[in-house]
Amino acid sequence: MRSIFYLLDCAPYGSEKAYGLLNAAAVSIKMDVTVGLFADGVYLALANQDSLALGTPNLSEIIYAYPEITVVAHEPSLVERNLMDQELIEMVMLTDEEEFLDAIRASHCILIL
Amino acid sequence: MKKTLTIILTDGPYISEYAEVAYKIARAALKEHEVNIFLYLDSVHIPNRGQMPHLFRNAGESFEMLANCGATVRACVRCAAARGYLPDKDLSDERSSVCQDYHKGIEITSLYDLAEMLKRSDRVIALSR
Repeated sequence: MRSIFYLLDCAPYGSEKAYGLLNAAAVSIKMDVTVGLFADGVYLALANQDSLALGTPNLSEIIYAYPEITVVAHEPSLVERNLMDQELIEMVMLTDEEEFLDAIRASHCILIL
Repeated sequence: MKKTLTIILTDGPYISEYAEVAYKIARAALKEHEVNIFLYLDSVHIPNRGQMPHLFRNAGESFEMLANCGATVRACVRCAAARGYLPDKDLSDERSSVCQDYHKGIEITSLYDLAEMLKRSDRVIALSR
C-alpha cells in the first residue's frame, strides 16, 4: 500500500496550514497515512484543546475522527518546549529522533504543506 | 508508459516564487511525463483571471498554458469557495467544474482528487512555506 507522511512543523492555530494538512491526511486514508508533528507542530498533540474563542475548528477533533491516521510526535520537540508533563492526546505516539526519521524514510511520499 | 509527477502548491502568486518554480518544473516535465498540479489553500488564487503583475510573469496565464500543454491543474473546492471562487457546476454531480473567475483549463475539484493524484503519482513535490 502506498504510504504518505504529512509533516507539520508549525503551530496548529494561527494559520490554515495545520487544518489544511489534516484535511489532506483525512482524504488520504485509503493509503497508509502518517501525520508527523515536529517543532511547533507538536502543540497539536496537546489534549483538551479549545478553539472556540478563536472561531476556528478544533483540530484535535480531526485526529479523533480519523483513527486510520497514525499521528506521531517528535519527542525532542516536546522536550524543547517543556511539554512532556502536559496531557497529550492518547492517540498520538511519541517517537525519538531515530524513529521519527525512520517513519519518514519508510514513506513513499513526504509532504510538508 | 509515461511517469506521473504531481506538484502541490499552497502559496498564492507573487508572495513567493513557488508558482513560478512550479510552472518551470511542470513545463520541463511535460516534455516526457504526465503532470498534475493541485492548488491548495492560498494557491487557489493562482488561476484568477485579470491579473496584471508589472514585474512578474502572469501566473494565471502561465498555468493556463500548462493546462493547454496537457497538465491537469485542479483547485481545491473548499479553499476556492472560501476565497470567493465558485465552481459553475455542483460538485456533488460532477467530478470537477470550470469557474468563471479562472483561466481556461483549470478546474475546481474535491480534495479527494488530491488523494487520487498522490496514489497515481511516481513523484510528488510540495512547494510550500
